[in-house]
Amino acid sequence: MRSSRINLILAALIVVLAVLSLMVGPAGLSPRAAVAGLISGEGPAGVIVRDIRLPRTLLAGLIGATLGLSGAALQGLLRNPLAEPALFGAPQAAAAAAALVIAFGFAPVTSFAVPIAGILGATISIAGLVAIAGRRASLTVTLLAGLALASFAGAVTALILNLAPNPFIALEIAFWLLGSLEDRSADHLIIAAPFMIASWILLAANARAFRALTLGEDAAASLGVDVARTRMLVVIGVALGVGAAVAVAGAVGFVGLVAPHLVRRAVGSDPARVLLPATLAGAGLVLAADVAIRLGPSVVEIKLGVVTALIGVPVFLAIIFRERRLLEGASS
Amino acid sequence: MSEVLTASGVAVRFGGATIVQGASLSLRAGELVALVGPNGAGKTTLMRALAGLVPAEGAITLGGKPLATLKPRDRARHIAYLPQGHIFHWPMPIADIVMLGRAPHADSFSATTPEDRAAVERALTTTETLTFAGRAVTTLSGGEKARVALARALATQAPVLLADEPTAALDPRHQLVVMELLRNAARGGNAILAILHDLTLAARFADRVLIMDRGRIVADGSPDESLGADRLAAVFGIEAVTVLVGGKPVPIAGRALQDLP
Repeated sequence: MRSSRINLILAALIVVLAVLSLMVGPAGLSPRAAVAGLISGEGPAGVIVRDIRLPRTLLAGLIGATLGLSGAALQGLLRNPLAEPALFGAPQAAAAAAALVIAFGFAPVTSFAVPIAGILGATISIAGLVAIAGRRASLTVTLLAGLALASFAGAVTALILNLAPNPFIALEIAFWLLGSLEDRSADHLIIAAPFMIASWILLAANARAFRALTLGEDAAASLGVDVARTRMLVVIGVALGVGAAVAVAGAVGFVGLVAPHLVRRAVGSDPARVLLPATLAGAGLVLAADVAIRLGPSVVEIKLGVVTALIGVPVFLAIIFRERRLLEGASS
Repeated sequence: MSEVLTASGVAVRFGGATIVQGASLSLRAGELVALVGPNGAGKTTLMRALAGLVPAEGAITLGGKPLATLKPRDRARHIAYLPQGHIFHWPMPIADIVMLGRAPHADSFSATTPEDRAAVERALTTTETLTFAGRAVTTLSGGEKARVALARALATQAPVLLADEPTAALDPRHQLVVMELLRNAARGGNAILAILHDLTLAARFADRVLIMDRGRIVADGSPDESLGADRLAAVFGIEAVTVLVGGKPVPIAGRALQDLP
């Protein structure tokens, strides 16, 4: 009951942020003009809202939701409030593959080749993770393999920057890595959305398993949970969703870590009950960050990943500070 | 009495090490069986094999069917397992924790049923945890956590209960409360196997005592048959003293023998 009210409040917040996101930009629109443009699609407002801002708004919401859900699902799987998608190397691998395409594929940052490469990169890294960890993968082996793959992907990205044909490309990659939704089109949305939605289905299907896992893997297994299958589905779900998100928007950090913490205080620690509000909070966070970017002085657009980290980290530290005792209890 | 859970020639190997070998036992409805043995004898591993949680050689059957052929959810409805250590990772309310015991009975779309709530309340009452049902589980003491963990296992209302050290961390009164509870559950028709370290409790409450030593079951009989002084010296390296409790002879560890035979 309490959690359904939180979900309603978060959903309302997302609607407000989405309308704001359609209003702000070089040509400011009133809320009425933005909504009218969205519905009619006519006139300059219609073009601005539907063709330019709507894909960006939808991408911000979808990416935020994917990151928030991925974080909550991983925290549920690993029974650890510090888990986040970057643990398994998927975002790093997606970034490395995308950087490779930008550097040597002669594809501009905003072409489709970049997201496709990113999704491929994330999928390859997860396939590698699954192969290394094996079918009966223990948590430790999976985490160590993920850490190794993440480091390797980071090294590949550094190598690409190192070998970039010219400094402009290196700069372009470096900026792309900071994360942005600037100039993303409906095509990006069409490429990335199916992967993100598939990831939502995979992750949400394991809600009951996450709840049982609060008792540890043995007790969860004795309650009928197929722990190895749950682990595999979550790893694949996170790879698809986060790979697609990074592939389209670059690295948008801390949303997956912060979103579950933001809602846990209101809905409690039950890992199944955290999933939906964390998804909504993630969408709200990225929408808000993307609106904030466009409200700032417009000479140089601050990158999305920079804003989420700058907002996300202090919020996260505040939560840790406030809930130290709870977190200490949870890790014991 | 029907044999609910049987094992014959069960062996469990991890890597190169053989943890359990040639273990055969049967667990009948209406029976409380104690599994005792020194540290590292293989008790927990045997119990995990009986719960279907580790791959084992040999034959394990539940109600006559090979355990391995059962779907995880069917197995979970028939065998409740209480692991050692009383793990609770998230600070969830106790009532929600105990409700997890109902997971094997729930289908994907249903909310909790009146039977679920009744089973949870019964489990909370019998383990004397109802008074703190609303508290976060991480705020409890070790012994309180142990009782909540047992309540979770009881809430499943499975015909077989495998309990790994259900009395560990409990104060003396609650050790007795839990043993009475297990004995009553057995009288009610359940088959219960409990790993115990307290030989006195095993002798007083169990219908049968199994002793494990170095991966093998070395005794299987009534408490009097299994817990003889010679065997306790051979297996545990203790000189046992027998005292009478309620007219029943029970062993207590009197003195550690210098050399394990």
